[in-house]
Amino acid sequence: MGVAEVFTEFGDIYLQSVLSTWLMTAVCFAGGLLLGIVATVMRVSPLKPLRVVGDVYVQLFRNIPTVSLLVIFVYALPYLGATLPYRTCLIACVILIVSAFASENFMSGINAIGVGQIEAARSIGLSFTQIIRHVVIPQSLRTTVLPMTNLLIATLLTTAMGSQVPLKPPELTGMVNYVNSRSVAGISAFVVSAICYAGTSVVLGFLGNLLDKKVRIIR
Amino acid sequence: MAEEYAGPIIQMRHVDKHFGQLHVLKDINLEVAKGEVVVLIGPSGSGKSTLCRTINRLETIDSGEILFQGVKLPEEGKELAALRAEIGMVFQSFNLFAHKTILDNVTMGPVEVLHRPRKEAEAEAMELLARVGVAEQAAKVPAQLSGGQQQRVAIARSLAMHPKAMLFDEPTSALDPEMINEVLDVMVELARQGMTMVVVTHEMNFARRVANRVVFMADGQIVEQNTPDEFFDHPQSERAKDFLDSIKGH
Ligand SMILES: Nc1ncnc2c1ncn2[C@@H]1O[C@H](COP(=O)(O)OP(=O)(O)O)[C@@H](O)[C@H]1O
Ligand SMILES: [Mg+2]
Repeated sequence: MGVAEVFTEFGDIYLQSVLSTWLMTAVCFAGGLLLGIVATVMRVSPLKPLRVVGDVYVQLFRNIPTVSLLVIFVYALPYLGATLPYRTCLIACVILIVSAFASENFMSGINAIGVGQIEAARSIGLSFTQIIRHVVIPQSLRTTVLPMTNLLIATLLTTAMGSQVPLKPPELTGMVNYVNSRSVAGISAFVVSAICYAGTSVVLGFLGNLLDKKVRIIR
Repeated sequence: MAEEYAGPIIQMRHVDKHFGQLHVLKDINLEVAKGEVVVLIGPSGSGKSTLCRTINRLETIDSGEILFQGVKLPEEGKELAALRAEIGMVFQSFNLFAHKTILDNVTMGPVEVLHRPRKEAEAEAMELLARVGVAEQAAKVPAQLSGGQQQRVAIARSLAMHPKAMLFDEPTSALDPEMINEVLDVMVELARQGMTMVVVTHEMNFARRVANRVVFMADGQIVEQNTPDEFFDHPQSERAKDFLDSIKGH
């Protein structure tokens, strides 16, 4: 079975799996960014215990393989009485891991701000939360567009973990198994999925570059 | 209320501070009256910046006390933020918010801290920018301005808070020589209008023109203080003499 036949025969469900991959990527990335902001705010807060919790959190989820985390969610959590749907497990795992990397990106963005601006903000009477909101977050978001684009692409690729659990519709990698268990597509199914991943990544990379040019802070 | 407070705006009593083993402020006693302009001068590392920064509590102190308008500086939280809103600070490195336009740099404090309506804050910001001569730059971002322009914006940003006193930490030291005067002129004007100012600077002409008092620091101590003409023409201590020789040398 060639690439073209894979398309004609499984076109519909391929479309669904592409959409499923895109949707999970979007949800995981958005969730990861939000959680990454929370972790980062903890890591720069004036309270030592919060900083420690934030640091430990990031170290933990930055250094654990996604597959291990997924195993914990799928097989270990039920022992604690929490049986979550497979898709929820997957999304939660990816969000946790993405948030750790997002926080690392934010930290480098924050380091670029410089203590002087923070002191200037303090000396006009802005509170810690106001400084975070009006100076730290906007600047670190705007200086980290490129690394965040890379993280978005990594998120896309990480959703391939979805092939390790039954999902309906499957995502792009699970789709390979789906196709090959129903017909003899061989390498073609892989090629189609790879094209979808690569195409998406190229577009995201391009958009990331555009956005970076638009919002980058001139220093 | 505070408006009627007639005593010294800033009072420092027996203030001591260490950075680790380093004793950076040693028994500092200093009062600054309303409308007074005090120039702090002294060798690098003598503690001038630290002294300045303790006044709005960007640095904490180990012992002694600092009063602003007769009230001890609050330790933290809302009260501290409110105090800082009343004391302007201008830094050597300008420290404008890099992601905001010049106009937004000036309106951030009034809008976020004083909760002024944005329109009103913008109108006043434009007046202030005009006053310091950078109104045409309002829509640009800091990196598009020269150092002298940025420092004038930083002054406008402080003024927008209607501060009761202003601290200047070497405001012209990072500037190219041809831009120093445009900043000093703004400061002279401020002094003439009665602003209470503590200025760390080695600009002797500025000191002579507007300072009521020059305070000379060395090794964390106030070594001597006098009117500018007396200080520059007849320094008392050896340290002040040596220091003045060294800065007159270039
Ligand atoms: N944050 C800090 N940590 C440790 N030492 C510091 C810090 N800030 C300043 N110092 C030291 O304190 C001394 C006084 O510094 P500073 O107040 O900046 O002096 P000046 O402004 O007169 O040059 C210097 O020896 C300086 O190295
Ligand atoms: Mg200094």
